[in-house]
Amino acid sequence: MGTGKDVRLSKVFDPSDGRAVVVAADHGLMLGPIQGVLELEKTLQKVVEGKPDAILLSPGQAEKLSNLFKGRMAPSLLVRVDWTNTFRDRTYTLPVRETFFGTVSSPRHALKLGARAVVTYLFLGYEDEEMEARHLSLVSKYASECAKVELPLIVEPIPLGPRVTKANNAELVAMAARVAVEAGADALKVPYTGDPESFSNVVRAAAGVPILVLGGYRALSRRDLLEVIVETMEVGGSGVVFGRNVVQAQDPKKVLEDLRAIVHEKKSVREVLAGGEAPKKIKLGAQPERCSGCLLCTAICSFSHEGDHNLSAGRLKVEGRWPGPFKLAVCTQCGRCVEACPKKALSVNPAFGFIFWNEERCDLCGRCVEACPFGVIKLQGSKIKVCDLCGGTPECVDWCPRGALRVITS
Amino acid sequence: MSTLRGRAYAGKVLHIYLPEEKTRCEELDEKEAKLFLGGKGLGAYILYKNLEPHVDPLSEKNLLIFATSPLTGTIAPTGNRFCVVTKSPLTGTFLDSHCGGPFGIGLKEAGFDALVISGEADELSLLILEDGKASLMGAKELEGMTTLETEERVRKKLGDSFKVACIGPAGERKALIAGIFSEMRAAGRGGAGAVMGSKRLKAIAARGEESVKVHDPKAFERAAWRAHRMVRMHEVTARHLPMYGSDNILETINESGALPTRNFQEGTFESASEISGIEWRNKLWIRDTGCSRCPISCAKVSKIEKGQNGVSFMEGPDYESIWALGALCGIGEKEAIARANLLCDLYGIDTISTGNAVAYAMECYEKGLLKGDDVDNLDMRFGNSVAMLELVEKISKGSGVGKLFENGVKRASENLYAKKGDVACLRFAMHVKGLELPGYDPRAAQGMGLGYATSDRGACHLRAYTAGQELLGYGGGSNPRRTEGKARLVIEKQNEKAVVDSSGICFYAFFAITLKEVRALLEAATGFEFGSSKNLEKVGERIYNLTRLFNVREGFRSRDDTLPERLLSEPMSSGPAKGLVVNLGPMLKEYYQLRGWDDEGVPTKEKLVELGLA
Repeated sequence: MGTGKDVRLSKVFDPSDGRAVVVAADHGLMLGPIQGVLELEKTLQKVVEGKPDAILLSPGQAEKLSNLFKGRMAPSLLVRVDWTNTFRDRTYTLPVRETFFGTVSSPRHALKLGARAVVTYLFLGYEDEEMEARHLSLVSKYASECAKVELPLIVEPIPLGPRVTKANNAELVAMAARVAVEAGADALKVPYTGDPESFSNVVRAAAGVPILVLGGYRALSRRDLLEVIVETMEVGGSGVVFGRNVVQAQDPKKVLEDLRAIVHEKKSVREVLAGGEAPKKIKLGAQPERCSGCLLCTAICSFSHEGDHNLSAGRLKVEGRWPGPFKLAVCTQCGRCVEACPKKALSVNPAFGFIFWNEERCDLCGRCVEACPFGVIKLQGSKIKVCDLCGGTPECVDWCPRGALRVITS
Repeated sequence: MSTLRGRAYAGKVLHIYLPEEKTRCEELDEKEAKLFLGGKGLGAYILYKNLEPHVDPLSEKNLLIFATSPLTGTIAPTGNRFCVVTKSPLTGTFLDSHCGGPFGIGLKEAGFDALVISGEADELSLLILEDGKASLMGAKELEGMTTLETEERVRKKLGDSFKVACIGPAGERKALIAGIFSEMRAAGRGGAGAVMGSKRLKAIAARGEESVKVHDPKAFERAAWRAHRMVRMHEVTARHLPMYGSDNILETINESGALPTRNFQEGTFESASEISGIEWRNKLWIRDTGCSRCPISCAKVSKIEKGQNGVSFMEGPDYESIWALGALCGIGEKEAIARANLLCDLYGIDTISTGNAVAYAMECYEKGLLKGDDVDNLDMRFGNSVAMLELVEKISKGSGVGKLFENGVKRASENLYAKKGDVACLRFAMHVKGLELPGYDPRAAQGMGLGYATSDRGACHLRAYTAGQELLGYGGGSNPRRTEGKARLVIEKQNEKAVVDSSGICFYAFFAITLKEVRALLEAATGFEFGSSKNLEKVGERIYNLTRLFNVREGFRSRDDTLPERLLSEPMSSGPAKGLVVNLGPMLKEYYQLRGWDDEGVPTKEKLVELGLA
């Protein structure tokens, strides 16, 4: 790599750790005015507050929003140089159609816009091998133009086409990554392959070229999103390029702080989720109108406590059957069980506020069970089963797919 | 005690001979469980081993098997499935019909992996399974009751914690398109309800204290979490299905020219936007629900004023029902579709077969093959929703002209041919081996054509859902109009699906996860070691070959692996696939070769040895 590329790449990948948090905001080019990029400038102003290392834009927007990239602390500009119809969205589903691609900018033009690198796709898996060859030629053309002006080339290798099956997806990502590297990529932007083992194969295939993982579809849970990043970093990933998960977030700055904490500060998911503050008193909150009645909450409650699928051991309850609606009963820490206990075997945990059961004091009289107005304390065998909020991160909340349960911090 | 107990299996298979209420409990064998898993695989194994060839499916000799799987009743995403396995009275082939209703978990908690029913009860009966015991009880009072009433009555009688599977009036009178229902969800296809009716079994109720335990709880929780996370982060399972149900695809299928319209005369429907997922969500759906343990909640509840039989809520409708009772009959009125679907659910018949029957009647009417009195003077022109609803009611109740159609399109067309002698009425009878076609026109998605022809239970979209790639662009997409590579695609999908159907999870979870995740779940749950996802796919291949062996034993050969005449010789009239027919021959030839089957479609000795089936 020449000096120019080296210098420019160091403005994307932090030289102190070799990692990067990049925000993709070029959706308008492929998908049209989707939420988050409709008022792009407004969104990006919030994004910039979260201090991303770089922002990816279409050439048109790069020109219009150049102000965002001025100044020594400003993020680096990355420019998308190609276009494809493949990701064109419809209201709610994605029909297949023939894939086409075209050029929207050149490395020279991107350089004039102030770009620190350009980004292009590389699709592999076409039915039509001629098409594949044409696409690779295009990427190679970008590579040689980039080499001339010392502008780093970031390639986004994506398996696409009939040769892609679910079973070979991870293999194809690794293969496409390698082809991209051979064609001259200076960094890669790749989809997650689903697990660390297969992603480490992608890292190996890339032979030292840094890999950023892309977000793809927008995740609804913070924990889900952060876990995926940690898994990629653990096997040699160099950071993220996230689009919708940032630009469509209510608070893009907060999301970027999370991302930076994981990528640059190397914090664990738990640390980030806890926010680095002292333990707070929390409660479970229920939004039964969101409940579909799937019972995953009670099932995981039993499973995470006893390793069993005994739903009657759940420390929360879902009532109702088809056609609904469903009622959710959770421990509200009202304290009636504590008051009712003659042996003082139940107490309130001072840090988190959950009810603590002292096995030694308990004589299993069952008054607590009678006193509970919600029926969420159970006496089973020689155990009192009461919500312990899973020590601060309730599993029922994390496993609920519909946000019907949440943690309320008081 | 079975070595499998506590390893995601109950370890027991209950055989019951109804006339004498004779029960026999067999331990589930570890080796067999590893070879066939559960659900479809286990059911196929039991059926193949125990059923004499060539029995009348509605005779007392046929076996009716309810099978659960290792992941049924666990925290695995969609770990709720049970399946009904029997010899189909509609097709004469092997039949596995799957359902996400609560009965499956009930059966396992009652202490059984599977239930094998033979014989005929002396009177209409209710079978009760509780904590490892079985008892039979007369159920005269349930006679003629709808599925919803039956379940309510049974729970009232036995207790609220019982989980029920039952048939409606259509099953009681052995209508060949009758299904088995559990809390408004159905093992709908292939006539399992008629088999249950032939055994004079109105309902089965199960409960028990046997909660499902797994081999390695820590590893299982990790594997389940990862699989759930993938489901929560995948666009199809986290957005399209939860928002618009299975109907999220209707407009796309229509745009691809693959939405069978007016009995497959066209591939695009002018009122498709009226019955799209968005329209349903905005107008009739009031709530998302889901099967137990399902993070997707594709199920919807519709509210209808003054609904049939005084019921004002209905389950769904889902894509197939919306299409079959809608576009296929030229109907774009949501409320009529919902009402017709409700009738099907209450009386216990399959919506796909029913919609096909109505559409068939409509085409016969428009072509003058049926008229006036033949159809009880209904104006059976395409698009007449009043007539559609009336015919569905007649089919549901087996009254009037409904009698002609309650046994499906194949029987109706043969009947009509015998009466009128016009071969035309056979050409557009849309079924394969007797099972009516689902909602993807294979002329616009060639792989689906091969899938219908080679499916083990007749025209089924869920044995090889190539539409995902051909029409919806999942997994990289595949050109729907080409035949090259489709044999490989169909085989891979059939094998994978056989694993899914034998594991206890729903096909929809499989949009987000792969066999790799299924393997991790199965290994942690059972302690089995498969070594690789490829080896797990081998299990699916074994199961698919076993169901093939069943069909071969019943006399099915390559001549039966075909499609309705219309799809092979009538070019598509409109849309992107205009001018195309299904080019089945070359695909089928390649399919047999890749499968290791001979020209007649019979698995070769070498293949059977390789799979341990010889």
